Amino acid sequence: MNWVGKIAAWVVLLLGFNLAHAQITLDITKGASGAGIPITIAPFGGTSEDIAGIIASDLKRTGKIAPQPPQSQADYAVTGQVRSGGRGAIVQFQLTGVQGGKLLDLSFDVPSEQLRPVAHRISDLIYEKLTGEKGLAGTRIAFVAGGGGTWFLVVADADGQNPRVILRSGQPIMSPAWSPDGSRLAYVSFEGRRPQIVVQDVYNGARRVVSAAPGINGAPSWSPDGRRLAVTLSKDGNPEIYAMDAAGGSPVRLTNGGAIDTEAVWLPDGSIVFTSDRGGSPQLYRIGSGGGGAQRLTFEGDYNARPAVSPDGRYIAMVHRRNGRFHIAVLDLQNRQFRVLTPGGLYESPSFAPNGKMVIYSNGQRLEAVSVDGGVKQDFALRGSVREPVWAPYGR
Amino acid sequence: MTHTFRTLIAAASIALLASCASTGENTSTDGTQTTDPAAQTQPGAQPGQEAYSYSYGQAPDSYEGYDTAGGGTGGGAGGRQGGGQYGQAGRAGQYGQGTAGGGAAVSADRVVYFDFDSAEILPQSQSVIDTNARYLSGNPRIITQLEGHTDERGSREYNIALGERRANAVRQVMIARGVSPQQVRVISYGEERPAAGGQDEQSYALNRRVEIVY
Repeated sequence: MNWVGKIAAWVVLLLGFNLAHAQITLDITKGASGAGIPITIAPFGGTSEDIAGIIASDLKRTGKIAPQPPQSQADYAVTGQVRSGGRGAIVQFQLTGVQGGKLLDLSFDVPSEQLRPVAHRISDLIYEKLTGEKGLAGTRIAFVAGGGGTWFLVVADADGQNPRVILRSGQPIMSPAWSPDGSRLAYVSFEGRRPQIVVQDVYNGARRVVSAAPGINGAPSWSPDGRRLAVTLSKDGNPEIYAMDAAGGSPVRLTNGGAIDTEAVWLPDGSIVFTSDRGGSPQLYRIGSGGGGAQRLTFEGDYNARPAVSPDGRYIAMVHRRNGRFHIAVLDLQNRQFRVLTPGGLYESPSFAPNGKMVIYSNGQRLEAVSVDGGVKQDFALRGSVREPVWAPYGR
Repeated sequence: MTHTFRTLIAAASIALLASCASTGENTSTDGTQTTDPAAQTQPGAQPGQEAYSYSYGQAPDSYEGYDTAGGGTGGGAGGRQGGGQYGQAGRAGQYGQGTAGGGAAVSADRVVYFDFDSAEILPQSQSVIDTNARYLSGNPRIITQLEGHTDERGSREYNIALGERRANAVRQVMIARGVSPQQVRVISYGEERPAAGGQDEQSYALNRRVEIVY
């Protein structure tokens, strides 16, 4: 074997090693502690899948519902059972109030390998019944894992289970962004040692390079209708915001000047918020859908970047630095209230849950989520380097 | 101190490779894979070219100089094989040595360091840039790639822009020293390829850099 062949063999073995040892698992180590609506969940008979355990874990993580040991006194009780039949399994469950009234009494007819998704669906039905808010147990997250030789783009359930590697690369992967219908991810890939923006269908894996201009191809973000992307390109000499068709095509430039303009996100009304250091330090600015004059949004601290918009367009989450430490902060666009949600460190990459109640982010080593009011926190324990979480929309 | 550290890292990476060999794992040589092989498409028609097709202005006459310097893998799948090796070298903190082949300088003479959130060329960096600029202007067929990097603090896409700003600052000095603009390409990896893995000021200082890669 010549030495070129030896290098190739080493690369083969190295990639295999990394994939086999990446161990992308993501466990919730603690839900929010303290108060919540007390509820008991009896074990579901007729299956080896711990449906009651999954429901309890989902509800505990919301911070608003507190599952109790089976024999405890509680305001609400969940009972259920699984029997074979129909498409494979029939799952029946009831939610009962302490006064004895049946609040929910439903059954699902599913393939027998679909018991975990059904458990998440039951969790969301219970959560919505008791709080009036849409639940998150049935949603998904995407994130980037690995680094130092092999990078992974992963989609997992919102409890971190069922991770699926949708892209593995020997070059960096960055900045995943969900399409509004939750079927596609736009992201930056350095495959071929040059940055390019790729749109990939998460269900069938089909992928298309939509931008590979000279210079930076970065920070993709979907328009509210899912038809366009805002991107950062430096092909004209300086990082600027452009809008382009999500299927590819000619980008239209939206910003001008000698500063760094990047990290654009769309608001529901079509306007765009982005990071710019045109004032000296990185701050958030807002422009109309066609560009034009920029309005500065942030004045707290000395560094505000990487905006994320809540689904209703009211809140902007961001990376915020004060006293040399990086935080996740949220700006309320209605009343201009600015709230710092983290103790400070290397926090980055905030993303809103589709119900707008939680923000997921990286603390520099692991993923965490915090409620927008700061009252509920979730930790995601995991092995290896995991970052850039993005919460999928409710989608289809 | 730095030399000892690098030697240790080099030993560790050799051990890693040895352990890989013993696992007998086998996968595709392709550096990028989707989970559905049928749906997989590779951007860029020519693998031998795709690694080097980034350029300001028009493409140079020949990729030959950069190709052979990039590990001698030549055409065909060479770009991707080089990519895998490059990732490994990056992890070992001696990435410049693993990939750069041209020029007479050693890798320590091909790194330009920066202050936090700054792309200003520091006085102590002038000699590194001048040495490489002299080499390039004396060898007009040689192409160099300036790879901009940042430390891990702050947002990732902003750091991509900052890394590019640093690489462009080095490029401007080289051009001012008489290097042809078409000999100098720029790419930014932001914080995605740290040279040092620690979360401390010493590591951050090593990561805020531009690597001059032949």
